[in-house]
Amino acid sequence: MFATLAGKALVPVGLAVTGFMVVCCLVLYSVIRDDLHRAEIVHATNIADTILKSTRYAMHKSDRETLATIIRNVGEQRGVDHVRIFNKKGIVNFSAKSGEINRQMDKNAEGCIVCHKGTLPVTNLGTMQQARTFRSPEGMEVIAITAPIYNGPDCSSAACHIHPPGQKVLGTLDIGLSRAERDRSLTMLRIQMITFTLMSLILTIGGVTALLRRNVFLPVQKLRNYVESTENISDIPEPPPHLTHDLDIIATSYYKVKMNAADKKNNFEKSV
Amino acid sequence: MADMHEKQLSADNSETVDSTDLLREGLEKEINRLSRFSTRGIIALALFLVVSILAWRGFPFLPDPDTVSPLLGKPPSAGIISTVLLLYTFSAILLSLSRMTAGIEHRSSFSHVGFLTAFFLFYYFGKSLEGNYWAVFGSGITILGVESYRIWSFCAEGISKNREDIEYVTRTGRPPPQE
Repeated sequence: MFATLAGKALVPVGLAVTGFMVVCCLVLYSVIRDDLHRAEIVHATNIADTILKSTRYAMHKSDRETLATIIRNVGEQRGVDHVRIFNKKGIVNFSAKSGEINRQMDKNAEGCIVCHKGTLPVTNLGTMQQARTFRSPEGMEVIAITAPIYNGPDCSSAACHIHPPGQKVLGTLDIGLSRAERDRSLTMLRIQMITFTLMSLILTIGGVTALLRRNVFLPVQKLRNYVESTENISDIPEPPPHLTHDLDIIATSYYKVKMNAADKKNNFEKSV
Repeated sequence: MADMHEKQLSADNSETVDSTDLLREGLEKEINRLSRFSTRGIIALALFLVVSILAWRGFPFLPDPDTVSPLLGKPPSAGIISTVLLLYTFSAILLSLSRMTAGIEHRSSFSHVGFLTAFFLFYYFGKSLEGNYWAVFGSGITILGVESYRIWSFCAEGISKNREDIEYVTRTGRPPPQE
């Protein structure tokens, strides 16, 4: 296959075009996936900020019932895996899942260790560092954001509160969002890219094959048949018409050589 | 006088035989060299596969990117590395196809393995190897595949030409006509 004229023409073209397209698709896929991941984090951070702002007044008033209702309602939203608020000791105070309330969180767990790996916990993290991804017990891909609830003058100076002004972080809001929609989009993108690459490959190989067949293989075959059929005869017919330019020259030269040889042979036979 | 003429003829004959043998020996050596050279692309491809396996395992013998970053500085972003990878792939394929067209013998396969390893390392130290592994792998397979084909077809043509030349030398006792 590789040694034939068709193989020599098609293998490098097919390999180069397909390979380059595959690399382009992979790079594009990677860039789109990273962009989607960043957008997901920004979206989750915005939701976390919205929840914190919505619950701030209830926290000031120490209205635990309103706070619990807000958290429960947000948790019931489609695509929300979990919402919980835990205090500085890591005990869950509010959660959309009632079974989690009063449960102690492990500081070494994924998502907690980012801030708690040193002796003193980190109090300021960038948006991207606050995010973590994991698979839920139900087998669903989840992206979670842990947003610290910072102390403020309005918190430490409120009459009903006991937070000292020196305490920087009062607790943490943890929200997890399902990645099912993002996975579905990426799967669709993958299928589209594979289809696009296969179609381009078929078009490239098909186009090159058609052009080669029309302009090279058929004229070469015609020339070969002409040469083979006139190999052992002296009175040869005219070369076949409609050959491509270079092959036409070869056929005409062959015809002239054969005619000259036939003339010389005739002259020799006459002289003898 | 006749003896001298015979001696002269036999000396000429032996010289011709010697030069024919030398010529044939040279052509056989060239065939052997081309046979060895034709495997160069496949060896480079195999070496790249070894590097790819190491990259797939996350270069277990290399230090953690976090420990290296303070020494080397901030790595380039994955987007920049990917752009350079695309440009490199495009130029390497173009170069290889140009060499194939011109029939140039060029030993570039192993340098490509080096460049591709550098891309793996850049992604590794930029902590984005996992997301971009297949792009480098695809690029490597494409470039080294085209290069292997170029080297193989160049050598196959050379070997076939040299075999024809040996046949010509054996038949005529004269050096083959130059193209």
